[in-house]
Amino acid sequence: MFLPYRHQPMETLTTRGRAVRLGATLLGLALLLLGTVRGTDDDFPFGPFRMYSTSDPPDAPAPDTRVEGVDRTGAVVPLGQDATGIRRAEIEGQQDRYAADPGLLRRVAEAFAERHPAAPALVEVRIVVRWYDIQGGRPTGRWTDRTAVRWKTIP
Amino acid sequence: MTGWLTEAVPRGRVAAFRTLVYLFVAADLVVFTPWVRTRVDVPGDLYQPLLIGRLLPLPTPTPALVGVIFWVLVAVSLLASTGRAPRLLGWTVFALYFEWMIVAMSYGKVDHDRVGLLVALAVLPTAGRARHGDPTRTEAGGWALRVTQIAVICTYFLAAWAKFRFGGLDWATGSVLARAIIRRGTDLADVIAQVPHLLIVAQFGILAFELLSPLVFLLPERWRLAMVGFFYSFHLVTIATITISFAPHLVAMTGFLPLEKVRPIALLRRRRSPAPLGQLGEHPLAAADDDLGAAPLGQA
Repeated sequence: MFLPYRHQPMETLTTRGRAVRLGATLLGLALLLLGTVRGTDDDFPFGPFRMYSTSDPPDAPAPDTRVEGVDRTGAVVPLGQDATGIRRAEIEGQQDRYAADPGLLRRVAEAFAERHPAAPALVEVRIVVRWYDIQGGRPTGRWTDRTAVRWKTIP
Repeated sequence: MTGWLTEAVPRGRVAAFRTLVYLFVAADLVVFTPWVRTRVDVPGDLYQPLLIGRLLPLPTPTPALVGVIFWVLVAVSLLASTGRAPRLLGWTVFALYFEWMIVAMSYGKVDHDRVGLLVALAVLPTAGRARHGDPTRTEAGGWALRVTQIAVICTYFLAAWAKFRFGGLDWATGSVLARAIIRRGTDLADVIAQVPHLLIVAQFGILAFELLSPLVFLLPERWRLAMVGFFYSFHLVTIATITISFAPHLVAMTGFLPLEKVRPIALLRRRRSPAPLGQLGEHPLAAADDDLGAAPLGQA
């Protein structure tokens, strides 16, 4: 049986509270739309949702980027996120900066040394891109490695 | 329109959502984005502040700054999850988490999985006090949940838009999923990648579901929940194949669910300490009225 007087009470908004909320909603939506249409990642948090939004031809090779170093014993050291605290996507995001100024890779070596004080010093840091072959939108399992940026200490 | 935007929800739902969101903030710092703390080891000249970081006078992160934000934010978000002082603690969490995100995103990579969570953090302080299990309906709380839902759906719908903008119409027939699998695929993904045409079909499917996602607001309750269930299943597949969790988005999306029906603490209490028979007979639901002993009283 429906008993209106037993219906749950309601906490309502004032006219002003309603208007302010409507305004905030519209402003937020407008900024998000503007970011989507014209913005870049720089406009965080209103930038475009561009995760996985680029398009590549179904037969173009795909890059898999990694950072590695060589220490003074000649051993190759992987310099991933666990080793340096720098995420791979951050290396890729600033790859043009590294290419223009390979000396910046010294910072990666420093970040590594900071976290591994006992490890032998690095004498070389390089950004290596492994290009995977793709045919018809499917990986074929073949790949080639190319060094994109290289920095060496002067002996 | 404003009626829909501020459609009242039970205070218990706001309380449950608030607890979940603030607990997630603490978990996010410790479990999901601990790499933000490793910024401490990354030299300052790799810091490339975002527009918002250049507009606001924010300092270049130092070990001390990042450490202080981390510990204060963990403490304040755990306090906020009890529902106490929702405005003061809520705004504090929002401000600190926002700064945490600006630090996280200013080293060359911006993540796109947390607009829903940031909106939830921005609006929860305005939802007012809410006690767990309180059936009183609130319009302020309704608005907070509604705009969180809108942000969640924007993440899908505007992502389709971004695909047209950056990838063009060729996106659906390109090799984006194959590339994602190469970079971070699981064994399961490697098996799937070998099925002819499946990845291309999946790309059309993703585009279709993102473009149609706003329909969730037009569906009747039951179908709406089913569609949200589909969204969750989509993320389950992306976790299982390309290890992308979108965790903050998944938490924000619980704003669609009747969370007030999930009462883990009340349930535990009833199991552990059954009330004496006489009391139980008179008030069989008494134990369900209270939860999280620290939760504040409603405005009554």
